[in-house]
Amino acid sequence: MNFLTDTWFQVARQLRTQVRMRVWIFINLVQPIIWLLLFPQIFKSVSNLPGIGGDYLQFLAPGVVVMTVLFGSAWAGMGLLHDIDMGILSKMLATPITRLSIITSRVIASMVMLVIQALIIFTIAVIMGVRIETGVPGVLLAILLISLLGLGFAAFSNGLALLLRRPEPLIGVINFIAMPTMFLSSIMMPGELLPDWLDTVRHFNPVDYAVVSVRDLVMTGYVWANLWQSLLVLSAWAAVGIAFGTMMFRIKAE
Amino acid sequence: MSVIVTNQLTKVFPGNIRAVDGIDFEVKAGEIFGFLGPNGAGKTTTIKMLNTLIKPTSGTAVVTGIDVVRNPAEVRKNIGYVAQDVGVDEYATGRENLALYGRFYRLDGRTIKQRVKGLFELVDLTGYEDKIVSTYSGGMRKRLDIAMGLIHQPQLIFLDEPTVGLDPQTRVHIWDYIGNLAKAMGITIFLTTHYMEEADRLADRIAIIDLGKIIAMGTPAELKQSIGGDVVTLSPRETGGEQYEEFIRRTQAALADQAFILGTQEAAGELALYVNKGESAAPKIMRLLANEGIEVEALSVSRPSLDDVFLKYTGRTIRAQEGTATTYAQMQRRHGRR
Repeated sequence: MNFLTDTWFQVARQLRTQVRMRVWIFINLVQPIIWLLLFPQIFKSVSNLPGIGGDYLQFLAPGVVVMTVLFGSAWAGMGLLHDIDMGILSKMLATPITRLSIITSRVIASMVMLVIQALIIFTIAVIMGVRIETGVPGVLLAILLISLLGLGFAAFSNGLALLLRRPEPLIGVINFIAMPTMFLSSIMMPGELLPDWLDTVRHFNPVDYAVVSVRDLVMTGYVWANLWQSLLVLSAWAAVGIAFGTMMFRIKAE
Repeated sequence: MSVIVTNQLTKVFPGNIRAVDGIDFEVKAGEIFGFLGPNGAGKTTTIKMLNTLIKPTSGTAVVTGIDVVRNPAEVRKNIGYVAQDVGVDEYATGRENLALYGRFYRLDGRTIKQRVKGLFELVDLTGYEDKIVSTYSGGMRKRLDIAMGLIHQPQLIFLDEPTVGLDPQTRVHIWDYIGNLAKAMGITIFLTTHYMEEADRLADRIAIIDLGKIIAMGTPAELKQSIGGDVVTLSPRETGGEQYEEFIRRTQAALADQAFILGTQEAAGELALYVNKGESAAPKIMRLLANEGIEVEALSVSRPSLDDVFLKYTGRTIRAQEGTATTYAQMQRRHGRR
């Protein structure tokens, strides 16, 4: 009970902080719109390739959703780093709050923001002419998938913040992880167009499971065989991230 | 009743750094207890063991009647902690900051609302409740920070270097707030500082800590009395080199065997003489030195300060160390966050 209320009050604090950063909100809304407008132009010539289906925007929209979640959650640890640096964390640790709530609240707040962002991107995509085959239920299922993906990355990122303690190495490591995980997936290109080795590697990348299934939900329909697999893999990924995050917290914050 | 009791409390950091080395002390209910020492002496480490942020390597500490190692969660309910860093949320309002801490101590919304008003009055921030903290000045943030440590009306509050980094005027204001706090709320205060005036002015009792050990303890008056009299400070023409050393040697020789001189201590380019009745000792000293042909640039007579106490016990001044020690302390503080 204390755990839940402790978490809730901290989630409220994080969200309030984010909402107050106007520039941050503006950038996060504008950025996906730019991706949706820009990428189909850049990749105009590839839209007739097999696996894309003639309309690159239709193909890309799910990718932009997953990409936004990936980057948003991968950077989640920066907020905790700020709290550590300002001395806010050690002050909190001297109060009776449940220790775990410090990390869960951060992850949950990141999730809330990312789900809102994802819904906005879906809306913008639909306005731009993207047709979602599975409709609203499909979007909700997509939200579940990307939430699991984001959960894992956000918890992982918070764990890294506790481990590294300084913005410079954290920024380096996050870039080092986030960029390749994006390119080593079918966010930009369908799997069958990737070289063989890449097509193999992507099956070890949780990002790919998210993008394949969200894309199925948008372009094809309910491909249950893949969907179950993705749910399983992404749940496992979320569990790993949370395990890492809480372990780092136990070791490094206490 | 004792609010804090420690027994051989020790913290050894990796690399065999004995930050706190077997300290024993007791803090009574309602008193302001000052921990005075230079930067890096082990003050913050002591606080962090007492407020459960770090575990002692050995020894025990009982805070508000509870062992800090056996039941840290219970200790946290009874204490407030105002760290050296002003740990306030800049993106929130003053009220939001206070309310969040109220929630951390499991207070209900109504209680928080009532207390917020009183606390803002106490620290003189009335009217700023709903302003975002990033618009506050440094002194205002510190006051808010102190109020946050009081929202749950703790029995005991830890103030770690409460006025470090503040301008002298703000410092005096904060002292007033801390003084009021003890009177108005009957709260026990454990305060660390490397400012002698701060300890002298606020603390009922002081422990002087250096290199992890308590070297003297008592009321400010008792500590100063331990000097045994007044302090006459001699400044030579040269403050270093051979001539300086010769000055010290010859002066000490000239003044040896004089009953009114209780002791001498050389530090930071000056020679401190502990004497009976400084006013009458000064001319005698001048005469004795003149007889030996020793020239003095300046001579001053003063009542003993806590710095003299520190000098007497350690052979160093707190002041002399500040310049170089600050960076070390900052490094330690960064390290402490890890």
